[in-house]
Amino acid sequence: MRRRVIFTATPALYVVLLGVAWSIGTRQAEKDTNAQLDYAVMDFRDTVQGAIDTMIGYAAKRVVTYLGEAKAKSLEEMADLARHLDIDEVNVVSREGDIIASNDPHCLGVCMAGDPVMDPFMELTNGVTPTVSQPFRPHARNPKVRAKYLAVAFPGGAGFVQVGLNETRLAKMLPTILGYIFDEWLLGRTGFFLCADAETDALVSNPSRHRDEAKTLSETGFDARAASRYEVTDNSNKGRTFRQRLFGEMCYCRYFTFAGHRFIPALPEREYYDTRDMIVTSMAVLLAIVLGGFAVSLSRISRDSARLKAFYAAEEASRAKEMDIAKTIQASSLPCDFPVSERFELFASMTPARDVGGDFYDFFPLDSGRFVFLVADVSGKGISAALYMMTAKTLIKDILLSEHDLSAALMRVNDDLSRNNPANMFLTAWVGVIDFGTGRVEFVNAGHNPPIVRRADGTAVWMSEKSGPLLAFVEGAKYRSSSFDLAPGDTLFLYTDGVTEAMDAKGDLFGETRLMEAFSVAPSGEPPTLCRLVRTLVTAFAAGTPPTDDLTVLAVKYLSRPRRFVRTFTTTQAGIAAASKFLDKIAAKENNAGLNATIPTLHVILDEVASNIVRHSDASGFAVEMEVTHDGVTIDFIDDGAPYNPLLHVDPDTSLGADKRPVGGLGILMVKKMATSVAYRRDHSRNILRVSKNWNG
Amino acid sequence: MDVIRKQEGATLTISVVGRLDTNTAPELEAEMKLDDAGEVVFDLAGLEYISSAGLRVLMGAQKIMAARGGKMKVVNSNAMVRGVFDITGLSDIFSVE
Repeated sequence: MRRRVIFTATPALYVVLLGVAWSIGTRQAEKDTNAQLDYAVMDFRDTVQGAIDTMIGYAAKRVVTYLGEAKAKSLEEMADLARHLDIDEVNVVSREGDIIASNDPHCLGVCMAGDPVMDPFMELTNGVTPTVSQPFRPHARNPKVRAKYLAVAFPGGAGFVQVGLNETRLAKMLPTILGYIFDEWLLGRTGFFLCADAETDALVSNPSRHRDEAKTLSETGFDARAASRYEVTDNSNKGRTFRQRLFGEMCYCRYFTFAGHRFIPALPEREYYDTRDMIVTSMAVLLAIVLGGFAVSLSRISRDSARLKAFYAAEEASRAKEMDIAKTIQASSLPCDFPVSERFELFASMTPARDVGGDFYDFFPLDSGRFVFLVADVSGKGISAALYMMTAKTLIKDILLSEHDLSAALMRVNDDLSRNNPANMFLTAWVGVIDFGTGRVEFVNAGHNPPIVRRADGTAVWMSEKSGPLLAFVEGAKYRSSSFDLAPGDTLFLYTDGVTEAMDAKGDLFGETRLMEAFSVAPSGEPPTLCRLVRTLVTAFAAGTPPTDDLTVLAVKYLSRPRRFVRTFTTTQAGIAAASKFLDKIAAKENNAGLNATIPTLHVILDEVASNIVRHSDASGFAVEMEVTHDGVTIDFIDDGAPYNPLLHVDPDTSLGADKRPVGGLGILMVKKMATSVAYRRDHSRNILRVSKNWNG
Repeated sequence: MDVIRKQEGATLTISVVGRLDTNTAPELEAEMKLDDAGEVVFDLAGLEYISSAGLRVLMGAQKIMAARGGKMKVVNSNAMVRGVFDITGLSDIFSVE
């Protein structure tokens, strides 16, 4: 009787599990899609606003430098300036708020102080605020045109220069501003960002996955009329998602227009339902195998024992075949489209033991700067472990994508797994998030084996930190994340106990010592090389014994590509001060020990070269172009003044006594001695001084 | 940058904290006020770096002191600042300790 209850209850439980997985998968996919699209629209606004501010802010600064102070100029001269700087409006405003020069006769004499729209600009006269920027809004005299204003103060707040840009002019520049950014815009794994001119319908973007497939927006399959009902018109873009077929794929989209262009961030629906469909199909097939087994057993259980034995033998054979199928299904649920990136390389593999097992690995992008990777091991083997593994894998991914705090995410995973755990299973896991910008790895270790880091120089170390509790064991357990830094060229290696607990014919374990020895013979730190090496050594060690446990390995190598920072400054003392701040900002952003230690030296070099340009050149401004790699920095100082090579100066005689010492010439001497190399060239009527500094010897 | 002056008898100690470059050198020049001190000591313990604009101010101070027969020395500079004095051959002139 009891057996009958179990036979009915177990399949029923599986069916319930199947339903739960389906509904969690669907809900989570929809939530993810909305969140990704929200983020894409927000990210776009920030990027473009930043680019426009930089561009017209530069124009305003040029006028400030050119005029030197707030003074009246003729209409013609102002019109010339506006044309030259490619802006619609340029106004010179006195400290009192009166427009004393403008390219627009209607503006002359207008007072900004007290004006409801223009009054905020008066803040510039306080002598502290350098810049005030306003977003696009309807133009005061012609509300059909939307315009944006930005103003830069004269030194000491003695008036300011205000420049205005209309959306029609912006529309013409937009393709240049956006450049290639949409082509490589990261939106999920297969998403893309479309941008097209609203009038001509010509595509401005050319998404890399659909390179050259369409020249116009209509050729992508986009239906503007249908989309216009969902157009995002204000800042609250939430909940305006709609579905359309683009490049032949059904996508979730948002739609908004800006400066005469149409924008459509799109996420193929397949990407978001893929995970759910694969999990549920796999679970259904496993379920069918289990039910089939039960049905056959029930119908034949009363036959005589001889036939029963024969049946069991046949049954065993067919079970083995079914198990093979299940194994294939399980293996195919693990991702094998390893990411290709300039910032990191990743490789992983899972070799199941006899039965379907409970090992798994996973990896996916968290946002445009971070990537998640993990390795886990479910207790036990067989169908129940495999089913539980599928549930755990989906749950971990879904929760990590919605909960960005790693510790909190793991606590939620643990609580969910503990609550829905009829078979009292548990698992160990090592979950890491790598930040490509800094190489920092934040991780939570839930009772899993410690990983190994192979440094760029070939040495290897254990990353043993105190581990948190097993997952699914106790509801309410606490997890705390830790972190460590990978330097460019370092590889992090994760594995399951199928490696360390592999047994040879004598009963000896492979163990941690042999694993560490494997790293000393590794020819390189490439992830596929390390993974294959460990797998080969373990297989060779355990030759002649049946594999008892799944074998999973995963390796991530952190790479580094040069980062470029470019900014232009005025040839004034304030320009030098701004360049110095720019340097501090780069250091803060890079957060690199080598760069931090070199920053004082770079400040001196910058101070010498920039003050030299300000003193000796008639340039209108100078640019600093800085490239940071993992072992050094190269700075190009560029100005458009008359040809001037500071390196041609004869070095001052530093052995002379105090009274005979010349005051000048020391600066360039210091730059030559402090830098690793200095070179001058004249290129396209510009002076370019290239200074390099390495911090590794 | 901050400049802290401390007079003890005929000795004037000037502590320079922060960064000494084209932006801040005029400030030090204005704050220095050597008056009639017999000896001036520049305490550079808090100085992050010094560029040639800063060296020029120190050279000015050295000339004033030498003209009136007074003494000047520079103490507590960090390795980076010390390197600049060595490169420019000013370590001896400034009596860097």
